[in-house]
Amino acid sequence: MPEPAFLFGQFVGGLTAAMFLFMIAAGLSLIFGVLRILNFAHGSFYMFGAYLAWQFMRWLGPGTEYFWLAAIGAATGVAMIGVAIERLLLCRLYRREELYQLLFTYGFVLILADIAKIVWGTQQLSVSRPPSLSGSFEILGTTVPHYNLFIILLGPSIALALWLLMHRTGVGRLIRAAVLDREMLGALGANVGGLYTIMFGVGSFLAGLGGALVTPVKSIVPGMDVEVIVEVFIIVVIGGLGSLWGTFLGAFVFGQVLAFGILIMPRFSIFSVFALMAIILIWRPWGLLGRPLSR
Amino acid sequence: MKRRIFLVAASSFAMAVSFGAMAADPIKVGFPMILSGPGALFGEPALKGAQMYVEEVNAKGGVLGRKIQLISRDTKGNADEAVRVVRELILREDVNFIVGTLTSAEGPAVSPIAKENKIVFVAPITKTDQLTAPANLHPYVFRSASTTTIEGRTAAEIVAKWPVTRVATISPDYAYGQDVTKAFVEHLKKIKPGVEIVDQQWPKLGEADYTPFINAQLAKRPEAVFSSLWGGHFVTFAKQAKPLNYFQAINNNFIGAGEAASIESTKSMGADYPVGIWGNSYDVFDWPDGPQSHKDYIARLKKFTNEEHPSSWPITGYIAMQFLTAAIAKAGSIDSDKVSAAMKDISVDTPLGKMTMRAKDHQANHGQFWGKTKRDPKYPFAVIENVTRIDPAPFMD
Repeated sequence: MPEPAFLFGQFVGGLTAAMFLFMIAAGLSLIFGVLRILNFAHGSFYMFGAYLAWQFMRWLGPGTEYFWLAAIGAATGVAMIGVAIERLLLCRLYRREELYQLLFTYGFVLILADIAKIVWGTQQLSVSRPPSLSGSFEILGTTVPHYNLFIILLGPSIALALWLLMHRTGVGRLIRAAVLDREMLGALGANVGGLYTIMFGVGSFLAGLGGALVTPVKSIVPGMDVEVIVEVFIIVVIGGLGSLWGTFLGAFVFGQVLAFGILIMPRFSIFSVFALMAIILIWRPWGLLGRPLSR
Repeated sequence: MKRRIFLVAASSFAMAVSFGAMAADPIKVGFPMILSGPGALFGEPALKGAQMYVEEVNAKGGVLGRKIQLISRDTKGNADEAVRVVRELILREDVNFIVGTLTSAEGPAVSPIAKENKIVFVAPITKTDQLTAPANLHPYVFRSASTTTIEGRTAAEIVAKWPVTRVATISPDYAYGQDVTKAFVEHLKKIKPGVEIVDQQWPKLGEADYTPFINAQLAKRPEAVFSSLWGGHFVTFAKQAKPLNYFQAINNNFIGAGEAASIESTKSMGADYPVGIWGNSYDVFDWPDGPQSHKDYIARLKKFTNEEHPSSWPITGYIAMQFLTAAIAKAGSIDSDKVSAAMKDISVDTPLGKMTMRAKDHQANHGQFWGKTKRDPKYPFAVIENVTRIDPAPFMD
């Protein structure tokens, strides 16, 4: 039996990974829940968040806590890109078949990857952890970096904020109404197009924020867009597309299965995640906390 | 009569022109390389090295009185794409030789195409032993790169001198990672039988989160670790390992194959680099004990690439082109069979010293730069101290 400190270390590691992925998956799930569009380019937004964070750090210079400015700036920048894409292009496709929408967002994966290569080249880039969070705690005999703890706390905060937005604000009520019956809501005089733009912006912001916040623990390289979109898809499939708490649960399960999977099957930990996804797809095709699609 | 003279003159003129054109026709060398995606970070400088050598040779009149023309193609880091572009280079561009490919998947995939078309193929970077293993060897495949055997065994020579017995490994789970780790473990056990391999972690290639692997490894309490995580994979791994006090727990007894100490990695990590660990690199721009030819090469490279601290990768393309050009000159022909014969046991004065292409396995004795990393106030990134260049000759068989 492994030592408790080690098991705790695996748990914390899995939780950190899960909260990073939750931030990104929440945006994808949110956009799907409201707009009914599966945005393949969500991973590209995440990648742009990372590159923009690096770029802002370059512009701001070596200030002590500029990382936070850079992260917020990057996420806002990505949200603006997302809003522009939705308002100028994507909104023309809502009445088309889903296949066209999928092809459109996939096209943007390729376009954004090429733009990133033209602007930032192919070099691997790196951002340092902000000095305020560069230390670490000893908890139960395990080293937990401050930054990881911050991410672990940020995940549930974002979940709660999104829940409050959806269930305690006027905009949230309209959004929930749009999910149920967008034609009816439009007929009642609400600006459905504006709602869609807001949601696409919020989803993009989360992807950009995830990308920016991941830079202190990962290298920024071309290809990180496709890498993350696969993981995020698995999470939303496990949890249920469009369900906020389902996404949270999916991310948690994903992180823990990966962390503890390597104890049981050291070379096939990724296999356990795919196996889990397959079982859930057969048993509950709409995910753990999702609802069967009704149209 | 006049007409006949005119015809003779015209036809001899035409012949002269066509002969002249033939003599001036460049020798075409196809250069399949990763020029897009994450691998382009390494493929592009490798191509630069080849281009620099070609420019130098052509400035001196070329080889056999003919200029060399490089035709590069993007393999996108994909073995199928590499095969496709090599076929296209041979069939449509009519290239005389192939120099290139990067990964250990691309090289072995392209080799049979070279065999099928009887075109000499020089691999500048691919390190897997499989490329020139007896079962895969044929008259047209040569490797100027180092191998996984040389890389793993020289690392074992270094670790054997450390006062450690509990050794662990962490490597990406694919051909290169497995081959180099196996070479390291086998050689270490042979030269230091008291060593115990306490843990082996195999994250998948491109793993995003190494934390579970790092924790699992630390739980086994190793005293030293061998890794073959390369490029951006090493950067991600080190950024996650450092705050977990991983390098501290093993007293910096960490040796990173896969060019963990290359300028590409140290530069991108800046202050985050785990200074004090050991690593290797294809080249170092500051090699005080190196030969004059290396210092000259670095000076030319700085000028050619306009970089103050040039990449460690151009040397791979440069040396491969040196071997090919020397073999063409020795063969006195661009005929594949003659060049293949000339390539055997040919010696070349590379910027890193003399290298020989062994006849028996078509393998150059390309050694390894190893060293411990340190901070140098002259540079904003970590560099290798006491650069050690290990002669591969004792470790090749």
